[in-house]
Amino acid sequence: MPAEGGLDRRLRRIEEIVASLDSDSVDLDEALALFEEGVGHLRRAQQILQTAELKVEELIGAQGNEAREFEAPDQGDRDDGDRD
Amino acid sequence: MSDGTLDLFAGRARAHSGEPSSAADAGAGPSEGLRASGLPAPRVWTVRQVNRAVRLQLEQGLPQLWVAGEVTNFRRQRSGHCYFTLKDDVAQLRCVMFRREAARLPTDPREGMMVKVFGGFTLYEARGVYQLVAAKLEAESEGGMWKLAFDRLKRRLDAEGLTDAARKRGLPPFPGTVGIVTSPTGAAVRDVIAVTRRRAPWVRLLVRGTRVQGREAGEEIAAAISTLASRDVDVIVVARGGGTMEDLWGFNEEAVARAVASSPVPVVSGVGHETDVTICDLVADLRAATPSAAAEAVVPDRRAVVRILDNLGTRLGKGLAGQARSRRWRLDQARDLLHRRGRRRVETCRDRLVRERSLLAGIMRERIARHRARLTRGAAAMEALSPMSTLARGYAVPLDGRGRLLRKTADFPPALDFGLRVVDGEVACTVAGAAGAGPAATPGRAGRRRRAGRAHHAG
Repeated sequence: MPAEGGLDRRLRRIEEIVASLDSDSVDLDEALALFEEGVGHLRRAQQILQTAELKVEELIGAQGNEAREFEAPDQGDRDDGDRD
Repeated sequence: MSDGTLDLFAGRARAHSGEPSSAADAGAGPSEGLRASGLPAPRVWTVRQVNRAVRLQLEQGLPQLWVAGEVTNFRRQRSGHCYFTLKDDVAQLRCVMFRREAARLPTDPREGMMVKVFGGFTLYEARGVYQLVAAKLEAESEGGMWKLAFDRLKRRLDAEGLTDAARKRGLPPFPGTVGIVTSPTGAAVRDVIAVTRRRAPWVRLLVRGTRVQGREAGEEIAAAISTLASRDVDVIVVARGGGTMEDLWGFNEEAVARAVASSPVPVVSGVGHETDVTICDLVADLRAATPSAAAEAVVPDRRAVVRILDNLGTRLGKGLAGQARSRRWRLDQARDLLHRRGRRRVETCRDRLVRERSLLAGIMRERIARHRARLTRGAAAMEALSPMSTLARGYAVPLDGRGRLLRKTADFPPALDFGLRVVDGEVACTVAGAAGAGPAATPGRAGRRRRAGRAHHAG
C-alpha cells in the first residue's frame, strides 16, 4: 500500500488496518507492522489537517483542458442571483 | 423595399404626412392617402399589390399588442417556426412564432391553454391571411409556461426513473477534489470557496465557469458537468444563487438533467433558495438548499475529521492490544486445555482404580462367603460327631466342678457334688453314702436345671 495519498486514501487505509488488527488473521509481526503503518498515516493526516491551504483552480479553454489558479470574485455579481 | 408598387405607395404615404413612413402615420390608410394625394390610383390592382398594400397597412398601422386567447393547433415545424391559432368563443386569430422567438419558449403550450401573446401584425401575402407575429407567449395560468415545461420534463424524467431515490448515490466522505459548475463571477462560487476553506482546506476545488442565466446556460452547464466528470473529481457541485423561475431556467433543461444523470461521480445541486426546486435538483444525487449548503454537504468539517482521526488512533491502539490479548487468551486456552487433559487422565486412572478395587472387594467377599459356607458345612458335620447327640438319646455325662469327666466309681467319693450333663442342661447331684461303699449317686430331680446344694442324701 502506498504511503502517499490524500486524506481520503489515508483514512481508508487506516480503516483497513484497524479491521485487520481486529481480525485474527494476522500474525504478531504483521500486526506490529500494520500498527506502525497506521500510526504513520494518522500523523500525516493530522499534519494535512493542520497545514492545508485551499487550492482553487479553474478549468479554462473550450474543452476545459487547461487549469489555472482561480481568482475568486470579491463581490458576487447580482446577476448570479441573490446571496444566501 | 425593392418592389415598385410599394415604393410608390410608401412614397405617397410619406408625401402625405411629410415624414418617413411609420406605424403612427400609417393609421390614415392607403386609400385615404391615395385620395388625398390627388394622384390617379391604378384602376385595377393586382392581388399581389393589394396584399402587399394591406400588409404594409397592418405592419405599420397597428402597434405591437398583447392578445389573450386560447391556443389551438399549435404546431412546431422542422424549421423551428411555430404556427397556431388564438381563439375566443367567437373569433380566431392566426399566429406565427418564428424560430428565434420560439427557441425561447420553455415548452409548447397545451391545446386549449389560455395564453397571452405579444406581437405585431402582418399579412402572409401568398395566402392573403393576416397573422399575429408572436414575439412572446406566456401562459395565463399559475406558473405559466415555465411551470408547464417543468412539469412535462419532470414527468418524463420520472417515467425514466432518473429522479428515483434509489438512483441517488452516496457522497464520498472525504473528497480530494470537488468540481464546481457555476458562474465564475457569482456569489455562489465565493460561498462555496468560503465554506470549503473554513471546513476542509485540504480539498482541491476545480471550477468550470458557465453562464447560469440565459438561453445558452443549460447547454453550458451540461457541458461543464461532463468536462469536470472527465477530470478526476470526486464529486460535482452545481451551484447558483436564487432567482425567478425564468432566471433559473438553465437548471431546468433536459440537457442538464441528462448530464447530471450520466455523471460518473455524484452531483450535488445547490441552486437558488430553499423554495426553488429545479430539474437539476431532482436528478442530482443530493439537493442542497443553497450553494453554501451544497458545499457543507460535500466537504467534511475539519473538527469532525479530527474526531475521526482520534477515534482511529484509539482503535489502532486497541487493535494492537487486542492482538496481544487474543494471543494471551489463546495461550491461556491452551494451558487450560492441557490442564483439563491432564486432569482427565488422572481421573481416568482414579476411576479405574476405584473400579478395580471394587472388583477386588467383590472377589474377596465372594471368597469369604465361600469359606463361610464351608465352615458352616464343617460345623454341621462336627455337630453330628459331638456327644450332644448321645445325650439326646438319653445318656448323661457326670462332670465335676471343674468340668472334668467322672468316669469311674473312684471318681465319685461320698458327698461329692458333681453335675450331670443331660441333653438340655445340667443337673446338680451329690454322691450319697460313704466313700468306698459303692456308688449310689442320687441324682437331683431330673428335668431341673442346676440347683446348687439341693442334692438328696441317702440317710
